[in-house]
Amino acid sequence: MRFQEDHQLPGTLICVEGIDGSGKSTQLALLKEWLTSTMGQVIFTEWNSSKLISRTTKKAKRKNLLSPRTFSLLHAVDFADRLEQIIVPSLKAGFIVLADRYVYTAFARDVARGVDFTWVQNMYGFAIRPDLSVYFRVPVDISLERICYNRAPKYYEAGMDLGLSHDPYESYRIFQGRVIEQYDKMVDSFGLKQIDATDTIHHQQLLFRNIVKDKLIEKGIEIK
Amino acid sequence: MMIYAEKENDNPKTKHGYPGLLIVIEGTDGAGRSTQIQRLREWLAVESYGVVVTEWKSSPIMSPVISEAKDRNLLNATTFSLLYSSDFAHRLENIIIPALKAGLVVLADRYIYTAFARDVVRGISPIWIRKLYGFAPEPDLVFYLKMSCNTLLKRIIATSGLDYHESGMDVGLSTDFYESFKIYQRRILAEYSKMTEEFNFITINGGQSPTTIQTQLRDKIKEQIESGIIE
Repeated sequence: MRFQEDHQLPGTLICVEGIDGSGKSTQLALLKEWLTSTMGQVIFTEWNSSKLISRTTKKAKRKNLLSPRTFSLLHAVDFADRLEQIIVPSLKAGFIVLADRYVYTAFARDVARGVDFTWVQNMYGFAIRPDLSVYFRVPVDISLERICYNRAPKYYEAGMDLGLSHDPYESYRIFQGRVIEQYDKMVDSFGLKQIDATDTIHHQQLLFRNIVKDKLIEKGIEIK
Repeated sequence: MMIYAEKENDNPKTKHGYPGLLIVIEGTDGAGRSTQIQRLREWLAVESYGVVVTEWKSSPIMSPVISEAKDRNLLNATTFSLLYSSDFAHRLENIIIPALKAGLVVLADRYIYTAFARDVVRGISPIWIRKLYGFAPEPDLVFYLKMSCNTLLKRIIATSGLDYHESGMDVGLSTDFYESFKIYQRRILAEYSKMTEEFNFITINGGQSPTTIQTQLRDKIKEQIESGIIE
């Protein structure tokens, strides 16, 4: 399927991955600033944001109605919708597309929530393989510190529906720990580029830009 | 190449291993599925079996989204396909499996084969879609109400009229409704025919009178029940 092959489209697809509080969105925003100033307009797309389905997912989340499998499918609906409406047309038109989270998020989270990996992977077989996937790795305690310094972890980000622990903090540690485990496995199997997300924002960004620069040069895209 | 969900251990006699019985009625629109199911439900209740009916695209969460997307005609085949499968997953976990666990008879008005037929006609890979629905329990009986394209066409025009999606207008086969319907339904029927062997469909001629069809359905179901498949 499409995900097994290099895409032959003129554009470039770059995605960032990592658990909540890894700082990946901040890094992607900074990268976007730089790319926009050097290359002109770039396209940005975010996980779980298609108009069609995100409302439904939110409503269902509030009512805690969905099983891990149904959740997994709904995220795939959202992804398929954005893929065909935003990502593929942009790549065809030659844009650089920046994706905040991509299929690896589903691979990591859904598997951590007990869904079969082979099944999830087959489901996302229609995805375009990114030119570059960067994983911002952060230990679970730092992620918890960053996102929960003034509030308790939310129900789903803590994986409370899995019944791992009654304490949301403890549940968060166990669940996000599992997600990290899945990401770590994917670094090798899917060739994710890893960046240490405990480093300073500035250092990470320099490293990130270098990785992107190399990829663009490799693709024969000129950077002004 | 279909692999159904792993078999449960509660009842070795059913195909899915749950105590209940899972009966599927497949067929295109206008084949008279709902009438038949309604009558089966009444009959089974009289025979003292608990019955649950579940229809394709009926989960309270997903079906409004599907209808909205259809109205606006804004989805591509993959997105549609995934949307239908989330509806199915939701019904499976909330209706079908609980009922089967409780030992009831589940009558499914359409099942995964509907998705296989419709999505493949829309260009989806048959292997991908079979794996996607790989979490579905194997039904004990699958009836296929088979209609000829001409009978179907007449029946639909005389009742509900031609509908955009049922005519496959979204597939872009023809700008003419009637032509599009014919080509589309022929392709759908061809997919069902291909699946007949793969999934052991019990084919019933949908052109017969409703009473004749009902008798044939009941005979097959009776056979199953009398073999002591459920308690």
